[in-house]
Amino acid sequence: MTNAKAPSERSLIEQFLDDNVLFLGPDPQIMADHSVSTPTAVELAAVDAWQDRSDEVHLIRNRLQTACNESFDMVEQMGAAPGAKWGDLIAGIFSSQGDLALSSAGGVLIFSVLAQHPVKFALKYWKDEPTVGINDGDIFMHNDARYGNIHNTDQSLTLPVFHNGEIVCFVGSIVHEGENGACEPGGMPGGAESPYDEGLKMPPLKVGENFEFRKDLLTFLQNSVREPKLQMEGMKSKLHACLRIKKRAEEVIRDYGIEAFMATIRGTLTDTEAEVRRRLQTWPNGKVLTNVFADSTLRENVLIKIRCEVSKQNDELIIDLRGSSPEFLNRANNTVLASMKGMLAQLFLMFIWPDLPRNQAVFAPITVLTDPGSALNCSPEAPNAQSMMTFFPAFTAVQNAVPKLLFAAGFRSTDIVACWYNMITTFVYGGFNQHQEFVGNVCADLNGMGGAARATRDGEHSVAPIFASMADIGEQELIEEEVPMMKLVPHKVMVDNCGFGKQRGGHGYQQIVTHKDTDAWGYMVNSIGAKFPSTYGIFGGYAPGCYPLCKVKDVNVFDVMKDSRDLMRFTIEDIMNEQPFPDATYSAHHAGLQFELAEQGELYMITQGGGGGYGDVLERDPADIAKDWADGIVSKKTIETIYFVVMDYNTGALNKEATEAARAAERKARLARAKPYKEFAAEWTKDKPPANVPYYGSWDDPTVLYLGTPDKTCPADAIEPVMMPDPKDVEIAALKAELKALKA
Amino acid sequence: MRRVSVDIGGTFTDCFLVVDEKRAEGKALTTHHNLASGFMASLEDACQQLDVGVEEVLSSVDAVRYATTLGTNALIERKGPEVGLITTSGFESSVPLMRARGYGDGLSEAEQQDLAGATRPVPIVPRSMIEGVEERIDYKGEVVFDVDEDNVRTVVRRLVDRGAQAFVVATINSVVNPINEKKIERIILEEYPSHLLGAIPIILSHRVAGRKGEYARTMSAILDAYLHDQMYHGLASLESVLRKHKYDKPMLVVHNSCGMAQMSSTHSLQTIHSGPVAGLEATESLSKQFDEPNMIATDMGGTSFDIGLVTSDGVKFYDFNPVIDRWLISTPMTYLHTLGAGGGSIARYDRLWGAVEVGPQSAGSDPGPACYGRGGKLPTTTDANLVLGYLDEKNYAGGSIKLSKRRAERSIRDHICEHTGLSVEDAALAIRRKVDANMADAIFKEVAVKGYDPSNFTLLSYGGGGPLHACGYASKIGISKILIPPFSAVFSALGAGSMNQLHIHERSLYLMLYDSLERKVLQDFTAFNATVGQLEVLGREDLLRQGVDEKDIQSRVELDMRYGNQLAQTAVVSPVDRIQTDQDVMTLLDLFSSNYENRFGKGSAAPEAGIRVNVIRVVSYVEHEAVSLQTSNASSAAKVAPISSRDCWFDGTEGSLPTHVYNVADIPEGASVDGPALVETPHTTYLVYPSWSLTMGKQGSAWLEQNSVN
Repeated sequence: MTNAKAPSERSLIEQFLDDNVLFLGPDPQIMADHSVSTPTAVELAAVDAWQDRSDEVHLIRNRLQTACNESFDMVEQMGAAPGAKWGDLIAGIFSSQGDLALSSAGGVLIFSVLAQHPVKFALKYWKDEPTVGINDGDIFMHNDARYGNIHNTDQSLTLPVFHNGEIVCFVGSIVHEGENGACEPGGMPGGAESPYDEGLKMPPLKVGENFEFRKDLLTFLQNSVREPKLQMEGMKSKLHACLRIKKRAEEVIRDYGIEAFMATIRGTLTDTEAEVRRRLQTWPNGKVLTNVFADSTLRENVLIKIRCEVSKQNDELIIDLRGSSPEFLNRANNTVLASMKGMLAQLFLMFIWPDLPRNQAVFAPITVLTDPGSALNCSPEAPNAQSMMTFFPAFTAVQNAVPKLLFAAGFRSTDIVACWYNMITTFVYGGFNQHQEFVGNVCADLNGMGGAARATRDGEHSVAPIFASMADIGEQELIEEEVPMMKLVPHKVMVDNCGFGKQRGGHGYQQIVTHKDTDAWGYMVNSIGAKFPSTYGIFGGYAPGCYPLCKVKDVNVFDVMKDSRDLMRFTIEDIMNEQPFPDATYSAHHAGLQFELAEQGELYMITQGGGGGYGDVLERDPADIAKDWADGIVSKKTIETIYFVVMDYNTGALNKEATEAARAAERKARLARAKPYKEFAAEWTKDKPPANVPYYGSWDDPTVLYLGTPDKTCPADAIEPVMMPDPKDVEIAALKAELKALKA
Repeated sequence: MRRVSVDIGGTFTDCFLVVDEKRAEGKALTTHHNLASGFMASLEDACQQLDVGVEEVLSSVDAVRYATTLGTNALIERKGPEVGLITTSGFESSVPLMRARGYGDGLSEAEQQDLAGATRPVPIVPRSMIEGVEERIDYKGEVVFDVDEDNVRTVVRRLVDRGAQAFVVATINSVVNPINEKKIERIILEEYPSHLLGAIPIILSHRVAGRKGEYARTMSAILDAYLHDQMYHGLASLESVLRKHKYDKPMLVVHNSCGMAQMSSTHSLQTIHSGPVAGLEATESLSKQFDEPNMIATDMGGTSFDIGLVTSDGVKFYDFNPVIDRWLISTPMTYLHTLGAGGGSIARYDRLWGAVEVGPQSAGSDPGPACYGRGGKLPTTTDANLVLGYLDEKNYAGGSIKLSKRRAERSIRDHICEHTGLSVEDAALAIRRKVDANMADAIFKEVAVKGYDPSNFTLLSYGGGGPLHACGYASKIGISKILIPPFSAVFSALGAGSMNQLHIHERSLYLMLYDSLERKVLQDFTAFNATVGQLEVLGREDLLRQGVDEKDIQSRVELDMRYGNQLAQTAVVSPVDRIQTDQDVMTLLDLFSSNYENRFGKGSAAPEAGIRVNVIRVVSYVEHEAVSLQTSNASSAAKVAPISSRDCWFDGTEGSLPTHVYNVADIPEGASVDGPALVETPHTTYLVYPSWSLTMGKQGSAWLEQNSVN
């Protein structure tokens, strides 16, 4: 029973509560809202005054866009983090209310929706806070993903821009800096069991005044990470890039007036949202359901369901992810809702409407529904350093659904694609390098994800990550100068490593790495999809394969090179199948490797994934198969048992008649294997998930979530977080049981 | 001085001829089937103007200098040999994958953003022609896996069996230690000796590019191998034609590094884009002779707009990783930024912004602008210029192309007015504003990102469309003074005439000038001095091979330096060619910080992160006498009579303004005409905006100056 309160009493209580806040954690209202802020009276007046001068506004916009691109170039050139050097960043201009209105053309566009939150936090909490304030010359930084951004390895820096004493915009830059002092080097600890294992946790923080960093805070930040040099260089590069955009914004205000500037910033946001709604109008109304599964928490094999229902109605799109897995309270694979929205926005900016401007209004007409406390909308106490392990699959779920609506759309600005490979399959490293510096970061070649097949052409091999265009996998010779890793095979396209189809996906490459010239060196790997594919085909196209991590320990490959060169092999399959090095230990694992020290000359091997296929394999042009054979990327087995093509393997000549006969026979066999849908459904539909698979998420009813066993459930609107046992404890328990059994 | 310099472009072959005190500019259509024909036709055109015979000129000139598009054509037409690539085992996919980003190299920003449409170009070396050999060298040059001769022989034979007509050998870290590349070369030569008919050309990557980065270096070597034969035969046949016309000296080939060399000392890659770079060389020469220390060179053609910088501080701007066609390479080129903006740029209505957008799509010359009447329906910059009255329907490109104003109006009405409700003239003005703003933004970014203020520069405008748009794009970035250079119609050819014989050699190395962890400044100068010495020898050998006198050889040492592990490499011209003292090191550190802060802003320097030299570059050269240009301080009050008058529309004025049209030949040196005005030359039109004026200089040069700021 609650007491009825008079308004004055309520007010007193609210005042008390406002005055006695324990600490200013992430603001749920700011973090949940991805819409564009309501225009201020000043903005509305400016837009009104300039509404008939759209050509001039467009010129101003282009000038500001040029400024964003200029600053992007600066950060890329000045930054020292691999992420900065290879394009994992953004630079942009925010409205006076903190909405990102213009950002650099290149870089990671997830940030285009995510950058707003820390700015809005600073406006809400620091602007009028006497001990902080927002003044001309102030420098704000932030990295805690719970206040915005993707993960704590991203650091943002923003500056307010004033005109006549009023804030007229913010300028900012965000960079994936890498090392951040987490429990594992490199900034993305797969082994984090709480947010307190995830390194630096800056809420929006004033780190400087008068355009200079406070030396004590700079020292604090450097002292908190393994690479103080990198921290300092990253901060300087972002500051000077932001100063450059600020200067350009001020020049525009000088040349065109503040009203024109405000009209441009606000108009850019409203025009973008209106255009997205116009485009959505051309899609057919309807609903598409897809299910995607993540097969690991990075520490154990599990099946994590991502349930996705995409509904299009008039000019709105609703992405309903309810019924997806609950959060894992001591695993790093949980997603902050805002991060996931950023990732989904990326899908529209890069794969559906790449011609749209890069700002947050692109995503405004899209609604995202999730269950609070789920892996896709985790609570603040859940670690999220490896949120990619759930939000990348969520991206794939939506990427898988959208083509079904887009196929009949009245407006398209690019090809329809199957699912792009979606994992950051590369090595994170840490240790003392050959120059005796302590370093920890991620290799840039995570950027080589396999491209998906398109409606009219094959996917491209290892071409781009799902989150950035023009991203670079770098040059090994330059990387080897800085870290002691020697990639014996840096990027070798692997046979059959793609989703097959009428159009096949692009292949991924394999990597074989070792190290030399230091004894203190180790690796991490952060990927799912070693047992269940993480990416899918569409319209009959196949998913690509599964990719384990393989290791060869107890060998020094440099000794082999010197003394037993005949034993050297240059593919994972040759090394793992032939096991050529005597006395070495060969093993295969899921691709969630927590930081592990290695000996010089030991081998760690991974595979970058391929893209999903498009359409029926039996419709693939045999000439394309012959070309793939000549390029060495398709096996005889695949040619004969998947594509049903008959050819002379020595000459590459196709046998047209035999191919047609083989394909006709396979079509017949398909019919023979086929069943009526009802019969199929009756045979395959089960009431509950299987007992032998740790399954998380809904089964058929999205309001009920399974918690690892068929017997344990919770309602989706009152999720019980999952706690996993330490895999080492599990192993010890199993060994103890084995020992006990042996002793008995 | 007697000198012939020729620049072959996509449409025209330009010739600049110097016969003693006389100068002439020749033009002829480029003859793609046989470039020598166009070459000789443009030379004949110039000779006729000076009333001298071609053979008389060729037998007496000190040199024929030649900027060619042979290499570009061969790349576009894919005319090259089957190249077999031998690389380190494990790296066979490095070239096919093009560092991932390669799908977008050479494309527009909009195309680069379109991941769903990302498609790599058809490879020059197909995957089946790439073989790995078992070998490995580490970052510091230590051989960790030696070459196995049998393995190499097997690979070589396999590639020859598949049809290899040229070999590229590119092994990892060969720029630090080329021993394995050389061993492979020896084995190939043993298999296919050079004196036998089956001999196959071999290109070693470390000889083409001295910079680390296996993909870009290998691509450099591949392009070099691919273009080698075409370039050799093309240049040799031209030389043969010249010899038939009594030319008896070696021809000098213009390089894209602002230098030139004899054919025997030229890599085919060095010729790509050499014409536009020659324009920048002409700008540098002009800057000295006209005493205009800071210049922005702008060259607007039919499809592209090139921007280059010459600055008073002597900083050299290179593109260390230029993109040729669709290929990223690592041989340094003089930096030029190219924007997809020209007369053929297509205008459209952008629904999103409710505004006019122009480019980067271009109608090119075929079908060309709507007003050409060759099937083009879409409005272009040229259509807008015609509608606004800036172009003469009957006298465009010297009368060679007849324009149709009706077609231009119709295309603008259909594609722009229909959506905007603007009049045809206002729509044309919107197109002009947008294309000028695009060029202005690009100029601004290019200048500003290097740390300079555009308003401190004089703008140089040449190329077919430059002088028609210069007032437009200059005024948008606060530049009020524009120079249309002497001989602007053949300005790149003029640049070729002013070049020095020059060779660049560079090498990657890992050299800490300041180690911030150890808090040590470089004490052992051996590696630095030895590297400079070796590079000097290579440059000297190049020049001596061409018969120059050793005492005329000069050199300049340039360093690419950076803080910590940055990507940025700031080029510093070293004041010393050997480091002898601590003071030398400190001078370099100061110089680097000063250049860096100029570029990125005061306070941006980060010496606390350590300072490295990544690349040492030695520029070896022999100075040649530059073509002298005539400046003018003359002032004339002569009243110039216009040849006609037309109604023209201008931004910021109501309706049309009567605009005088002048013939450039009627305007004496020192005389001025006030805007609005049009000055017609045989090859282009100078547009003088209202409140601007044009003052004629010598040799066809002219100054455009803004009288007052609006």
